[in-house]
This record gives sequence, structure tokens and C-alpha cells, in this order.
Amino acid sequence: MPEGTLCNKIPVNTKEELLTLLADKSGKTYYEEMNHLDVDHAALKTTLDKSCKSRIRTWLEICAHCGMCADSCFFYLANNKDPKQVPSYKIQSTLGEIVKRNGNVDNAFMQKTMDIAWGKCTCCNRCGMYCPFGIDMGVMFGYLRGLCFSQGFVPWELKIGSGMHRIYRAQMDVTSEDWVDTCQWRMEENADDWPGLEIPIDKENADIIYTVNAREPKHYPEDLDEAAILFHLAGENWTVPSVGWEETSLAMFAGDWEGCRLQVQAVYDAMERLKPKRMVVTECGHAYRATVIEGPYWAGLKSGKTPVPSFHYVEWVAEALRTGKLKLDPSKKIKEPVTYQDSCNYIRNAGLSDCAREIMSYIAEDFREMRPNREHNFCCGGGGGMNGLGRYREERNVGLKVKRDQILATGAKLVISPCHNCWDAIRDLEEIYKVGIRWSFLKPILLKMVIVPDHMKPVEE
Amino acid sequence: MFDKIMFATTGTPVCDNAAHVAFDIAKKYNSKLHMFHVLGLPTRGFGQVVVDTRTGEEESYDLDYISWVGEELKNTYDKYLATCKSCEIDSIAGIPHTEILRKARKIDADLIVMGAHSRQEETGATRYRGAVGTNMQKVARGARCPVLIVSRPCTTCLWYFSNIVFGTDFSKASFSAFLFAYKLAEEIGSKLYIFHSLDLSQVHAGKVVPQEEIEARIQEARKKIEKLYVPHLKGYDNYEVGIWEGIPYVEILKYSRAKNADLIVMAHHTKEVDPDAAILGSTVEQVVLRASCPVASVNHPDKVSG
Repeated sequence: MPEGTLCNKIPVNTKEELLTLLADKSGKTYYEEMNHLDVDHAALKTTLDKSCKSRIRTWLEICAHCGMCADSCFFYLANNKDPKQVPSYKIQSTLGEIVKRNGNVDNAFMQKTMDIAWGKCTCCNRCGMYCPFGIDMGVMFGYLRGLCFSQGFVPWELKIGSGMHRIYRAQMDVTSEDWVDTCQWRMEENADDWPGLEIPIDKENADIIYTVNAREPKHYPEDLDEAAILFHLAGENWTVPSVGWEETSLAMFAGDWEGCRLQVQAVYDAMERLKPKRMVVTECGHAYRATVIEGPYWAGLKSGKTPVPSFHYVEWVAEALRTGKLKLDPSKKIKEPVTYQDSCNYIRNAGLSDCAREIMSYIAEDFREMRPNREHNFCCGGGGGMNGLGRYREERNVGLKVKRDQILATGAKLVISPCHNCWDAIRDLEEIYKVGIRWSFLKPILLKMVIVPDHMKPVEE
Repeated sequence: MFDKIMFATTGTPVCDNAAHVAFDIAKKYNSKLHMFHVLGLPTRGFGQVVVDTRTGEEESYDLDYISWVGEELKNTYDKYLATCKSCEIDSIAGIPHTEILRKARKIDADLIVMGAHSRQEETGATRYRGAVGTNMQKVARGARCPVLIVSRPCTTCLWYFSNIVFGTDFSKASFSAFLFAYKLAEEIGSKLYIFHSLDLSQVHAGKVVPQEEIEARIQEARKKIEKLYVPHLKGYDNYEVGIWEGIPYVEILKYSRAKNADLIVMAHHTKEVDPDAAILGSTVEQVVLRASCPVASVNHPDKVSG
């Protein structure tokens, strides 16, 4: 059975394989090879037998084709209500068929399935909220991605991404040494302005273990500075682990469940090793979903919970502001109209919408809700891996229109977006549609308004 | 004096003057030159796409592209490279100031040389804001070593520098700038001008300052210079102290012109690097934009003390 050198059923496990894959410009050879990739029917059937249990089979069976999910999907709305974008159709014509045919599908079918599973769904799970039967197409698309991945039908960037996790335990090529070095560098960098500022590495029994998105040490180390400064001002006893610091999971977007397990295991090991009271993750939505919501199951933790209680950054911020650990100068509240991007992964899928509202009440004078909002908010348009996939760039850009119109309708020009993916999608939608909006994480906004006690200021001579 | 020089370049004509100076200094001091180029801005997503810093086009970030950019840099600077004993070329995707600072720290650079702004607009004093670029400002502020910013053609070579003007605001960071200016002056044998400008910007708000007060403050500044800096000159007597009053950046430019300065050394330690918030930018930014000679920014003692 033809297996490509780049496009095949084996995940990337070595640096050499990773570099070879990276050297294939835009995945040209990779996608060419995909045209000849055989489907291993026996393996697909075995996987279905083992993993496609009653929940998914029932969901596929009971779907009444009522179409209630149609309007819930931003892709459907952004594509002039194209019936092919109705979530139930998308899942029935892909996973539904695979199950019906018991894995007996061909290459063309698998490629079409891949294009739907990654190019027409961000696994935002919004449709699941509107289904009268509670059928969650997002969950099923996640499962479908796993089937596609096991057969080698996965977008080029995500094969790379999952390989990164397998090799570096991070979504980018940031080694443990790079990470520790970056922490030390940022401490030096801020030493003059913030006397006593520390980024404690591998401190045992701290109150908080802080974990990040590899983008931060790689490209945006200021984010790490800001987190450190805010913890410092709040008087937190915190630490970062030298290993197990990365919380994101492109492996989850890819459907590489073994990669997912390896990644979260590294974080859980750090928790076990350093015994912190709790974990706080940076402003990233899918990182939280991967490590806090899904991760325990990947790692086989019977409790379904992380080894120590885990919190999203917005939970920590809300708490720090509520309890006065961080004090804000009320005169510096944001005066202009400002809106908030509810991230699917920690708002809809983890119920943290109140934290976001509480924070906005402390920092904004004119907070404008998007409509719909909270659990009902639309995906930014870049979730589920969509932002990084060249093959589906056009589809992504069309999908962004829904978020654009939602933001414009608020009248706000500033969008607070405590999620890397949302942040990126909103940045891109401004680049593409030029509607004149700005966007920000919470940390830089908080730093502008936080009161710095005199004893924490640098001594001027 | 400079074992390792880092030349941070955009690879565009904006950096031509800086290239000239960087290679010149490397030649003079037998230094190893690290040419460093941040080739593109990454997306916050994980895609393998970067926006090329020079063309503004989206490119896929892979080994091919990196080596192609390396070749381009070699072609751009071939006439200089021919004269350079040891030069290493490195390109990476990232946020320019972050990667420049990270690299400088990694190679333990003794000097960073860079152009003044990252876009091709003509250098001119009319462009108050943003022109110098937050990248330059952030590098100038964060670097542990001196940062030499070259925005105009530098007619003299560094070892011909005969007049070095050190501008001080008496801050802690200024002392590091002083040490650098003094060491360089001593090394090259040039004249060192220690200059301070009394800040009279408030006259624009209608505040009248009596002449006696100005004169008293000038006396005070002179005493400070004698106390803070002169003892460290260790007998080096080729120096002169100048104290003028006015708007600091204007005065330092006027003074430099009057003294035929070929190098201005200052500390750039303003906290505000957000161009929207720093309406007129910092003094050093204004000086860099307007000066006809290179400006060295020194803020940390790491590479200049001892």
C-alpha cells in the first residue's frame, strides 16, 4: 500500500522527520502524496469497533435532520446559508458514512472528509447547544479528526504541530533549555524597572504553578514579563516548571491522541513533581481545554480532574481584582466602548463567562456585550486549528465575517480577547477587512491601570 | 574594545549607512561581526507563514526561504563582506526587537549597530512619531551593550572620530553612557564633550524662568559633572564641559553641530516606548532622527564598566 515519505500514517517522532516535513514548502509534496495514500480499511474498522461507542452511534442514528443546528454554525451564516455547511449534514456525510460503511471508504472520500473536518468546522461546539437532542457535532468532529489522523489524512501544518509536541512537548521548537533561558533573560530585562521581580523556576510547594503557550517564550516574551509582574504585584508565591511548562495542544487540533497524552502528561508530571496548590494557565483557550478539560481523560486519570486544581487566567484575574490582591486605579478604567471576545474553549465549554464579566466591570466604563454572547457567542473564526492552516485560509477568511459583524454591531473599537487563537483571528480580520478595530490580551490592559505600591517601584537616585 | 559586534539589519537601503559603520568598526577592532536579520513577522497562530520584513509579502517559513534570505543578504553586503575577516550571517523569524535582544544576549555582543528606522521613508525631522520605530527604541533601551544607531551617512570612520559628545541627564543609566564615551575617547584619542541641557521646555507653557535661576542651575549642573564624571577621567584631560539651556534635544543637536561632533552618546532609559503614548518621543529618539552623526545609546553598565 503506497505510503508517502511525508504523507503517511506514521506520526512525526524525530527532529529529522520534522525538518524534512518543514522543508516541503506549503506542504506541496505532502498533499501530492496524499492523493496516492491508501486507506487501511482493516485498521479503520478496528478503530471504529474499539472507539466508536454507543454515544456517537446513537447521535448519528437519532439525528432527525431538523436543521435546528444550521443557524448556529458561523460557517453556514458566513457562506450564504449554504446547505452543505449545515453541521448535521457535515457530520452525517463524513463520520456518518464512515460508520455506515464500516470503514470501507476510499482516498477521495477521506480527502473530502479532511477538508470538511478541518476546513468547515472549528470544533467550537456551538451547534451542540441548539440541537434538540443534544447531539454535539463538535465532539464528533473531534473524534473524526482522530480517525483521519490515524489514516494519514491530516493537514500538513497539523502533522508538523503534533510532531512538535511529540518531540519538544511544545507546539513550537522551544526546548526546556530555551524556555529556562528565556525566563532568566526576562528577569534580567526587567530587573531595573521591577526590583525583586522573579520568575521562579521549579520551586516546590508554590501556591501557583504557571503554564504558558509556547508562542510566548518563542515570539512574545513580554507576555511572560507581564504575567510575572502581575503575580509579583499580587504577592503570589508562584513558579514555572522547567519541564511541562507548555499547555497548548496542536495534537488535539490534529486528532493525534497519543501526542495529546504525551503533552498533558508532561504538565501533570510537573504538578506531581513540584506539588503546587493550584495551576494557572495563560490567556489561551484551547490550552485550557486540552489540559484542564480533556487532558485528564487522555492521561487516564479516573477522577477526570487534573492532579491539582487548575484555573484559566481570567479566573485568577477575577479573583485577584475581587480580593484586592491587584488594585486598579479607577481613574484609569477604559473610557471608550469596549467589547469582550468569549472564547469557545473556556467560556462555552468550561463555563467561565461570569469571570469575564466580573473583570470587565472592574476595568471598563462602557462595556458592550456582543450579541449573542457568553456560551452562545460565535467562534472567533480561527479556532480548532483553523488559523494556522494554509489549505483552508480562504474558508477561514470568509468565516471571519460573522465575528467582524458582531464586533462592529457593538460600536466598540477595542476588543479584549484573552485567548491566543481569538486574538490572532481578530487581528487577521482587521488585516483583511480593515474595519478599524484594536484588540488586546488582558495583561497589558491590567498593567496600565494597576496601582504599584511605592516600595515596589525602582529607587531613583 | 569590541570583540563581538552585532549588525542588526533589515537588509534594505535604510541600513546602508549602518552597514558601512558596522563593517568599518569590525575591521578596525578585528571584531567578529554577527550580521543578524529578522526576516519576518510570525503569526500568533501556528502556521508556517511569516510576513517578510522587507517586502511585506507572506512567505512560507522554511529552510529554503531562510537560506534564500541569507544569500540575499550576502549579495546586498558583498562589497563589505569581502573586507570582513570573520562574519556570521543569521536570519530568523520573529518580532525584530525581541530577536535582536535575544541574539545579542546569546552571543554576548559588545556593540549593536543598527539603522534608525525600519521603513524606507526618508529620514527627516518632520516625522516626529513612530519613524524611529519601537524596535530601535526597545533595543536601545533593553540591550546590555552600547547600541550605535546610524541614520545618516557617516562621513568619518569610527577611528577618525575626533569629537564625541556625551549628553547627560544625570541618571544612573547616563553613567554607563559616560563610561562608554570616555573609554572610546581615550581609546581613539578624541576629544570628549560632557554636555548637559537644562530643561526649559516649560517656557512654552508660559512659565518665565528668571535668569538668576538659570545661572544657578547651570552652576549646580557644572558641580554635578565635576563630582560625577570628572574624577573618573583619571587624568584624561582632552575634555570640555558644556551646559546650555533650552529644549534638551534641540540643545544637544546645536551643541554637537557647534563642536563638529561625529558621535553623540546618550542613555535611552525612558520608560514609555508606546509611540501612541510618547507623543513627541524621547530625547534620544529626537536626537537620532535629527542628528547628522551616529548616536550611541548606552543604558547598562554590563559592557562598559570595569
